[in-house]
Amino acid sequence: MNIRRVISTIEKKYIIENLKKGERIDDRGLWEYRKMNIAHDIIASAEGSAEVTLGETRIMTGVKYDVGEPFPDIPDEGVCTIMAELLPLASPLFERGPPDEQSIELARVVDRGIRHADCIQTKKLCIQENKLVYILFVDMYVMNYAGNLIDAGGISALTALISSRIPEGELKDGNLEWTGKYLTGKDIVKELPLILTYGKIGDIIFLDPNLPEELVSEGRISISVTKDKIVSIQKSGPATFSIEEIQELTKRSMEIGKNIREKLNLWQYKVSND
Amino acid sequence: MPLIINDVYPKKLFREDGKRLDGRENNEIRPIKMKVGVISNADGSAYLEWGNNKIYAAVYGPREVHPHHLAKPDKGILRVFYRMATFSVFERKRPAPGRREKEISMIITDCLEPVLFLELYPGTAFEVFIEVMDADGGTRCASTTVAALALADAGVPMRSLVSAVAVGKIDGQLITDLSGIEDKAGEADLPCAITWFNEELSLLQFDGDMDLDELNESLANAKTALNEILQIQLKALKSKYTTILEEQEGGES
Repeated sequence: MNIRRVISTIEKKYIIENLKKGERIDDRGLWEYRKMNIAHDIIASAEGSAEVTLGETRIMTGVKYDVGEPFPDIPDEGVCTIMAELLPLASPLFERGPPDEQSIELARVVDRGIRHADCIQTKKLCIQENKLVYILFVDMYVMNYAGNLIDAGGISALTALISSRIPEGELKDGNLEWTGKYLTGKDIVKELPLILTYGKIGDIIFLDPNLPEELVSEGRISISVTKDKIVSIQKSGPATFSIEEIQELTKRSMEIGKNIREKLNLWQYKVSND
Repeated sequence: MPLIINDVYPKKLFREDGKRLDGRENNEIRPIKMKVGVISNADGSAYLEWGNNKIYAAVYGPREVHPHHLAKPDKGILRVFYRMATFSVFERKRPAPGRREKEISMIITDCLEPVLFLELYPGTAFEVFIEVMDADGGTRCASTTVAALALADAGVPMRSLVSAVAVGKIDGQLITDLSGIEDKAGEADLPCAITWFNEELSLLQFDGDMDLDELNESLANAKTALNEILQIQLKALKSKYTTILEEQEGGES
């Protein structure tokens, strides 16, 4: 595969001319997602896992847990941390080494969507107030990069959480004992925030940029929505958005979010708790 | 106070009926599935399921060397990066590469180098990225096997394929292809890889204790298993093209 950071002028022109006519290089409409596939519970060593493909983009996510002391300001709430790795295996554009801006942004945008949506029931992740809580690690691995990691990452993180099964513990005389029961996605996840990312070139805006579109875009905006609220927005890249555009995109996100939420039916990926 | 359910090892590694804990005979390898061309961005790639191990390998190259001072004017270089996903093991692994991962990367590099014609690619690098997504014993052998397959899928000229397997000893008996528990609770572990063009061992480690006879027998057992693994590798490579052929012929087969 010949993938370069810079797109040739002629290809760039072709992409833009088509977008102006409302057409995409992969035959989609402006507000259409690429084909999405979800697999869950694929990693035996993980407490929860998912693999999401969005077009050629593929992300694998696993959930692990630990127990530890709660933060002093929220003594009765567990903790969930989200990490992303852009593996050099996934694209010639990714390099080895510690997390760079792009992977930190991916993890943070997904994290903020989940954090502000009443998604993870952190109070259920408390074993004993002030003493012991669960710490969940949601780790996303990009396996193939073909644009729009954020939306695919968000869905893979949600699916991994929904499909997770964590041993239930209780403190007895200061010792942690396992009850033999499990906390599952059904217990710890409530709202399902979806992140919708739009690319912008000139004054054309479109959903789910693929790799060439992402590379020629001047910027993008990611909007996280629950079924009735906007929960987080991230604008990135040098593009600017008018207030009218933001109003239109947020409205659109609620509508598209509703459709996708029904279509994906993420609760089907929950696992039994025995 | 990091407390997790203890990873307990059973006292006996054989069942009442004389079979191993997962129901295998002493010299039986776990079920293996391989597929090539699984990462569309890479020049070559392969995926391997070996028991509960799930491993991806991708090859990029020949391409420019970063950092530049590593480049050699008279030949290409091979760089292998073996990494484990944080969730691939019982207790979450730290995200940064550890000493173990660096060592395994090195021994796999040394293992694969003899089959490549690096002298044909001066100033460039072949980079092989191995990601263990789920681990259950024998990942260095499985990784070597899948990396060789990814190199072949990339069309990199090779003298031959490379296959790897671990043999060892548990409860006093010699076995082939140790699982995670057998590796941790057993008495000896002998991972080895063969370069088929000269049928010599290109990766060899040993931890534990065996007498000379046991070691000789283990190596012979390894050779038998390596042959089985080579057949699966060849089948995976060929199936990429037979699948395309079937699509072309439109269901004739």
